[in-house]
Amino acid sequence: MELLLKLIFSPIVFGLLFLGPLIAQSMTAMDLQLFAIPNLLLGHVIGGAWGLIAKLKGSWLWIK
Amino acid sequence: MDQIARHINYDALNDAELDALERKIAAKYIQKSTLGIIVWGFSNTLIWLSLWPLVILGLVPIWAAFPIAVINVCAAYLPSHDAQHSIIAREGQKLRWLNELLGHVSLVPFAQAFRYLRFTHFEHHSHTNNPELDPDFDVHAENRRAYFKNALMRKQPASSARKDLYANALERTNQSYAAVDAVVIRSAYTLILFFAAYNGYAIEAALLWWLPLHIADIYIPYYLSWKPHHPGEEQGRYKDTYAFKSHMGNIFSSGMQFHVVHHLYPRIPLMHTPAAFREMRPILLRRGCDLHGM
Repeated sequence: MELLLKLIFSPIVFGLLFLGPLIAQSMTAMDLQLFAIPNLLLGHVIGGAWGLIAKLKGSWLWIK
Repeated sequence: MDQIARHINYDALNDAELDALERKIAAKYIQKSTLGIIVWGFSNTLIWLSLWPLVILGLVPIWAAFPIAVINVCAAYLPSHDAQHSIIAREGQKLRWLNELLGHVSLVPFAQAFRYLRFTHFEHHSHTNNPELDPDFDVHAENRRAYFKNALMRKQPASSARKDLYANALERTNQSYAAVDAVVIRSAYTLILFFAAYNGYAIEAALLWWLPLHIADIYIPYYLSWKPHHPGEEQGRYKDTYAFKSHMGNIFSSGMQFHVVHHLYPRIPLMHTPAAFREMRPILLRRGCDLHGM
């Protein structure tokens, strides 16, 4: 149970499962595509990386 | 018209007489109708819930729904706050179920647990401005700019100050079980965001819930915790809470200009605190309350 909660509230999971689709769907809504990379894949990369940095730095905003 | 205290020379009253008069005024307002806050609480949640199908079905554009959702989420806490203080009905009274239902339902857009907020809020009332025991003490900041910076920092993954203060308050009062409610509700909120995002509704979830919740999470403590207790250095019945004049007016400052009355008599319904304040004002001045010219 503890592991499950850690996963739910993990910045990496949030970046992947929420920010990823949000970035992808926002790009699609604005008719944007970077090269031939699918928007969802790009969203996952950006969201996941942002979540990872948030986890490591302890901040989504990178400010102290 | 039905003012209790009229044509009274307050300077001639002693402490006991002031106390009796203050309590008499409070008793009058405690009995006032709570219908307004009941309607507010249920209709606010209903409007917010209805935004989801309306937006998903394309009946309301998301740009129009977003500001409504922000207002809904920002307005979600106060009906629950009245319920936390059992203003609609106390334990053992006929409408107790309605009090508790309002407390739970009104918090849905704010994704918070009623018992968790109620128990920690009682500790805030018991220990206002006490750095060790007031669970809301972490909102204090030297000025508005510092408040907003702190509010942003509290949202970061590394920040656990608020969670610790709330957990400590629950532990002290042997009510740690209420933390489970908070974890369940926040987990459900997060999972709903994931589910919506994965089913193609990430923008809708972001603008109807995620972003409004972040805005409300900064707005609500600003007016309920920071502003009426700032600078948060004094403790004591007439010293820990202030009146203030808001540029946003009474409605958009969540009625908190008169928060001093709420801390003195928490069972006065929110909607009646302005009138109660006006009637109590000379007494509060005699008591040495800082009313900032109100």
